[in-house]
Amino acid sequence: MRYTNPELLEHLASSYVLGTLAHGARRRFERLQRDRTDVRVLVTQWEARLGQLAVSVPVHKPSPKVWAAIAARTQPMRTQHAPQAKGSWLGWLKPAGFGFGGLAAGVIAASAFFIAMPTLFMSSDQLAMRSGERLPQSYVGLLTDAQGNGKLLVSSLRHGKTMTVKVIGPITPPATGRLVLWAVPASGPAFSLGAVPTSGSSVSMLPDTSEKLLSKVTKLVVTLETDANPAKPGETVVFSGNCAKLW
Amino acid sequence: MKPDPDADTRSLQALIAGAAQGDHASFARIYERTHTHLFGVAVRILGQGQAAEDVLQEAYVSIWKSAAGYRSEVDGQPIQPMTWLIAIVRNKALDAFRSRARRKETELPESGDVDEEDTETTATPAPSAAQLFEQATEALHIEGCMSALEGSYRQSLALAYYQGLSHTEVAAQMGAPLGSVKAWIRRGLEKLKGCLAAQGVVA
Repeated sequence: MRYTNPELLEHLASSYVLGTLAHGARRRFERLQRDRTDVRVLVTQWEARLGQLAVSVPVHKPSPKVWAAIAARTQPMRTQHAPQAKGSWLGWLKPAGFGFGGLAAGVIAASAFFIAMPTLFMSSDQLAMRSGERLPQSYVGLLTDAQGNGKLLVSSLRHGKTMTVKVIGPITPPATGRLVLWAVPASGPAFSLGAVPTSGSSVSMLPDTSEKLLSKVTKLVVTLETDANPAKPGETVVFSGNCAKLW
Repeated sequence: MKPDPDADTRSLQALIAGAAQGDHASFARIYERTHTHLFGVAVRILGQGQAAEDVLQEAYVSIWKSAAGYRSEVDGQPIQPMTWLIAIVRNKALDAFRSRARRKETELPESGDVDEEDTETTATPAPSAAQLFEQATEALHIEGCMSALEGSYRQSLALAYYQGLSHTEVAAQMGAPLGSVKAWIRRGLEKLKGCLAAQGVVA
């Protein structure tokens, strides 16, 4: 199934979040989420909707042992189980009749298969990223204020339809209006890419692929806008930077 | 966890950002502020006990590992940190619930084979799920909007959400045909989306 029907995707996303998507379909949909940012956006939207229903769920207090176990697993440097761990690891293998030689041979065989035919598992782009040769093909922009302080990092996969905006320096939220990101082509009018957050990061859907929208864009600017739907960038440019092709 | 006499006034979002940078104290604060609510979510699906505590543990370990993945805004819509946390716990609780149900089916195959079309109307709907749904819609000011739906639509949605029941299980609980339950839940979700959008929650 190619999952191109928006209604089907919406239905699957709502069923997944509600929990009514059956076993195999649930796993398949999780794989789809990993590959498709637009599907992740749909899921996040449904999580935001259905999460509201949890408002009436009564609180419960778990045993204090739960935090102790969480802390032990999230602060590995502070746990002192290394000597025992070695013994229990080997001890675990023996009763299972799982020879260490067999385990080692299995790992070597699997690794050799993976190294010999990596394209069976990953795309060429993923391979290049894994080997450290390059980052994925993307459009990126680093926006700074007038003093050159980094404020926003904008990125979007070249053939993707989502854009991530990450705040990398402190931004004072405007008292009135909102901050809007604009793409400025070398020739032609600037167009809006939507509002930007003043903290954290945001991901938004683009009307088309980055390649179609941004291939001729050389500059990105953020302006302060009081109009809900400004047709062109306002006078007050807050941040600016170049739009670069990362390939 | 040591109690902190100085109340941490940082927002949950700021604490998640701290945890994403490896600050374990921020992570401890997240737990302190949210664990009773999140445990409540797990208990609703799994019942009070070891399974719910295991899920809570797994969920917080996942929160620690994936804190950098939290997005405060998606497609122009703000995403509350609690939404993100609840989704993590609910997904893990649902997985544990389904896995337990599968084990029971393996152990007692004759009890797992229910023909929804022939199920008699003997099971009483879970009032607690329905009550919780009603309380939530009141708190969200969408009770009027949602009441446009028939009770069975709301009830099937409540059973699926608050008890983590599958379509088949909801059908068995309500003594209704599986096809009807699927349609009720689908329609219920659509209505909920519209009612919440009218309140400005994820248009």
